[in-house]
Amino acid sequence: MTPLAMFAGLMPALMPCLFATLVDRVPGIFFGLPLMALASLIFAATHHEDPAEIRFATIHWAVWLGGILGLVLAGLLLLGWFA
Amino acid sequence: MGKKHRDRSKPAPRIVAVSPDDGSAIDLKNPALAALLSWCLPGLGQIYQGRLFKGRLFMGAILGTFIAGLWLGGGRVVYASWTPGNTRWAYVCQAGAGLVALPAMLQSLHLQGPAKQPFFVSSFMAPPLTPGQYVSRDYATSLASADPDIEAEDFFDRPPWRQSRIDEVSIWHRRFGRWFEIGTLYTMLAGMLNMLVIYDAWAGPLGMPTDDERKAHRNAASAASQRKEAPK
Repeated sequence: MTPLAMFAGLMPALMPCLFATLVDRVPGIFFGLPLMALASLIFAATHHEDPAEIRFATIHWAVWLGGILGLVLAGLLLLGWFA
Repeated sequence: MGKKHRDRSKPAPRIVAVSPDDGSAIDLKNPALAALLSWCLPGLGQIYQGRLFKGRLFMGAILGTFIAGLWLGGGRVVYASWTPGNTRWAYVCQAGAGLVALPAMLQSLHLQGPAKQPFFVSSFMAPPLTPGQYVSRDYATSLASADPDIEAEDFFDRPPWRQSRIDEVSIWHRRFGRWFEIGTLYTMLAGMLNMLVIYDAWAGPLGMPTDDERKAHRNAASAASQRKEAPK
């Protein structure tokens, strides 16, 4: 089993811990989530006309935005720990 | 001589955009008017163009976020101020939300004017007072009676004006804490995202490459890299 596959297998178990750490470390993180949803919705709606396509694209944008911002946040938390 | 006149007997050509989903034509009607309407009230331009779903969606999302931000920041986060040391750059973004942010400009201009009090003699969307600032007696009295953190002694008597001794923005930060920043962020983002909505009303949906275009681009890129790798 490759390390990447092992990491992927552990992710479902790690996610609640990671999320709890985020909530503990970043107060007010929940107030960022509606902004991410809003940005995804407006981005999707300005790229499509069909409601079903807008819905699908909103999820698509939200996953990308959440992933990128999550990585940045994780990086900052790691820097905070090592500082 | 060389001027081309449109044949008035024929109907004016419609300005259309193409839907990226099904390729159907979207009648943009008068794009400049639609863009202006979308600035005034988010989504109104799309409603004018007959794109009701998107218009209502934009209106609810942008106005909802703007009002939520205003509420989170205790109604103080939207104000315009260009005085040295108290420049409010966030308002540049907030102004994108349209008419809902316009009272702040009106309040600020009136407070800086000869009357030395906001247009609506209340602190709604009015810029914060800075130490040494002159205001009218009416405004000083209304602030002292409405705000629990401000008292009549916080103003020097300088007939016919009153001179502020307080730094009101510090009071707001102390009172609202991080909610002030969160509220500012919400209202700023609402204004900035409305720029996309205005563009959508002006020119239709933003272009996204189709699958065929993506495939063609990939093929061209791989062909170029093969040419580069091939021995001369």
